[in-house]
Amino acid sequence: MASLLDALVTGLVYGGVYALLALGLTLQYGVARILNLAYGDFLIAAAVFATLLYQHYQLSPLVSLVLVAPISFLVHLLVYHLVFVQLERRSGSWRAMEASSILLAFGLSFVVSGAMLAIFGGKLFSYSYLLVPVHILGSVVPANRLLAFVLALVFGGIAYLLLVRTRIGTAIRAIAVDPDGAPLAGIDVRRWAGITFAFGGIICAAGGVLISMFQTFNVPMGVSFTLKALVVVIMGGVGNAVGALVAGLILGVTESFVARYVSPGLTLAAVYGLFVLAVLTMRTGILGRALR
Amino acid sequence: MASIARTAALPLLLLLAALVPFTNNDFYVALGVSLLMYATLATAWGVFAGPTKYISLATAAFFGVGAYTVGLFYEKVPMLLLYPLAAIIGAVLAAFVGLTTLRIQGMYFTIFTFGLAELIRQFMTWYQRNVSGSVGVYILTDISARQIYWSLLVLLALTLLGSWLLSRSRWGLALLMIGEDELAARHSGVRTTAVKVIALAVTSAVMAVVGAIVAPRWTYLDPSIAFNPTLSFMPAVIALLGGMQRFWGPLAGAIPLVILFDQLNARYPTSYTLILGLLFMVIVFVLPDGILGLLPKLQRLRAPAAPAVTPAPGAGTLSEPVTPAAPARQTSPGVDGTSGVVTTASATGTTLLEVRDLRKAFGGIVAVDELSFEIREGEVFGIIGPNGSGKTTVLNLISGVYEPDRGEIVFLGRPITGKPPEDIARLGIARTFQLVRIYPALTCLDHVIPAALFGGHARTLTEARDHAVHILEELGMGAFLHVPAGQLNFIDQKRLELARALALRPKLLLLDEWLAGLNPSEMVIGMELIESLRGRGMTIVLIEHLMQAVRRLCDRCIVMSFGQKIAEGVPDDVLRDPEVVRVYLGEADDA
Repeated sequence: MASLLDALVTGLVYGGVYALLALGLTLQYGVARILNLAYGDFLIAAAVFATLLYQHYQLSPLVSLVLVAPISFLVHLLVYHLVFVQLERRSGSWRAMEASSILLAFGLSFVVSGAMLAIFGGKLFSYSYLLVPVHILGSVVPANRLLAFVLALVFGGIAYLLLVRTRIGTAIRAIAVDPDGAPLAGIDVRRWAGITFAFGGIICAAGGVLISMFQTFNVPMGVSFTLKALVVVIMGGVGNAVGALVAGLILGVTESFVARYVSPGLTLAAVYGLFVLAVLTMRTGILGRALR
Repeated sequence: MASIARTAALPLLLLLAALVPFTNNDFYVALGVSLLMYATLATAWGVFAGPTKYISLATAAFFGVGAYTVGLFYEKVPMLLLYPLAAIIGAVLAAFVGLTTLRIQGMYFTIFTFGLAELIRQFMTWYQRNVSGSVGVYILTDISARQIYWSLLVLLALTLLGSWLLSRSRWGLALLMIGEDELAARHSGVRTTAVKVIALAVTSAVMAVVGAIVAPRWTYLDPSIAFNPTLSFMPAVIALLGGMQRFWGPLAGAIPLVILFDQLNARYPTSYTLILGLLFMVIVFVLPDGILGLLPKLQRLRAPAAPAVTPAPGAGTLSEPVTPAAPARQTSPGVDGTSGVVTTASATGTTLLEVRDLRKAFGGIVAVDELSFEIREGEVFGIIGPNGSGKTTVLNLISGVYEPDRGEIVFLGRPITGKPPEDIARLGIARTFQLVRIYPALTCLDHVIPAALFGGHARTLTEARDHAVHILEELGMGAFLHVPAGQLNFIDQKRLELARALALRPKLLLLDEWLAGLNPSEMVIGMELIESLRGRGMTIVLIEHLMQAVRRLCDRCIVMSFGQKIAEGVPDDVLRDPEVVRVYLGEADDA
């Protein structure tokens, strides 16, 4: 019984972080129309950054979080304008642009992970931060996980409120719904799509730092994070923040149960199972219509 | 002459390549194996991704499955049986991926393929750890590098042959149409899902066989070798570098890239991935059409000799007054090609299509509400109503774009409710679109041929071609056969859509505001054209805003308002109906 509860709590913690990751990715895909296959690799970069700061300067990951956000924002803004906007200018049709932007993002993923591989290789990263047991619901959880979970929810909540309650958020949602119509309402699509892409980058980096707080990771793991975020996006419905939260929790719990009761080697199979289910049964995500 | 030289070039090249192992230079053979392996993978990848623009990132998955088929079974099953076995496993896996994700448009396919290799890699790792208790498998065979080289060469030759045959067949055309506009392809009778899944399965089977052939080269196989992401990445880079939709593309891309990366891998093993990624990004940027894209002369390799009949845009032809198919009005072989069926002009009275209690809601908006009507053979039936009254939705329900929430649609006594567009097109209901849906890059002929082919009555490509030429000529478009549709002016694009619809030899033709947007003189031509179709007994459903057109063309019509039918009858009576006047012009005011 205790182990069941453990699995559930672990799953929920992971699920909260996955939901945050999915929120960043769905912003990038839904607004900037870029399927960012390098997402997980950027996430690992942020996680490595936090780890190195902790190991060398004993800097708390909470400080790293503050440092990494503007850096990631700038990097993503540059990537958007120097890479993807240029590509769009070159290609004629939108379909052609979509195909080549996927390939370009795939290339970007190789560049980001390749650069880190060249420096660190397949070395494992981890550090022990806030390794204090906390008793919750009759289960014992390390404080770092709990903090990561809470922060993930807080960040996700802030992002959601920004989108729904502010003028800029409304403009961004307008772009998501109709990129051709938005300029007619005086919205500078290129500019705000770039900023949204970069904002998604902040969320991605924040997710990376949170993950580094409680999980051992290495560079080649970037792909699996991209994949999990994508699956959560599809399950939750593109552009649907609440859907992403529910889907993230489902994914986290499923993964944790499979790891505990079936085999840790088959978690990816569980992720895929959920993906197939989502695609086959729920075309608009588990909560029905997308948030628009 | 040039084409003979081109045709001879490939066999010659392959023969020369076959001689390489006789040099007894191990380095050349090893490099050749890499080259052939990637060229074959890239060709297979490009056959599917090139025309359809569906990007698969799962080459490593299929390759690895093939390699593992050999790794796990080579001791129990003879080698020669393992190749077909690998092909079957690869095809089944691909069919599963395709059936899951290709039914829906969008990015699901790419995302699914993105992680597929990773999934299988994890699964194989788990399998080996837990079932066979090791990390990898040893493959100890007496197959030499030379044999691998020759096997790959044969496979490459077969793949190229297949790709060449495909580009000349109806299926090649179908794949192209899917890449351009999937819905329009379905309305031409193309079973898009089946075509996509089969193409994906066959190309994936080739990838699996490549894996099976190459497997003995590594004496030790583990999941990180067999499912290496680079294997998914390289074929895409190669195909892109060479030019995606070009026959020679993968070969032209493979030679420089494989040699380059062989060198890079040897000199900078640690930054290899980084360089690979950077180079790939540069290629996407600088050479979006590939090396061969730089040679525009080779551009139309695909078209079976389309000499310069094509009039240059603006050379006078496009601005010439368009003549309707005037002779066709007197002679019996129809524009619709239903040469044998000579029906009299008047409606015969038998019911062709019956719509009963049809209802379709989008969320809270009821677009079509309890709608019923009958269309008799040979009549022109109008559907009119203000904007947003649900007219186009009715057409979309009949032609299978949407599935109705309730109600029934019966065509020729058979229920067709909920059938997919391609089936309905094949049964003989053709349509045009309110906003023209053409494939700008394809020629007029390429638009019409598939409809003739997939409509199920033309058996050969030549037959379909003749039929298509015939229809286009009768619609006065004989001069535009080889002109890309994007260069046509508006009425000609509309006529092209009509030609595409007629090539299905429809029993019922659905025209969605076909006259909208035409200038007055074009309008006259357009109306004459529809009249000539009616003159030959074609049953037509006409959605129209122009009352003069409705009066002149329609035998009967219904008026819709907010999804409901508010009037039905002869146009003159219906248009006098006070309710109809109110809906169109608003309440009579006091002034």
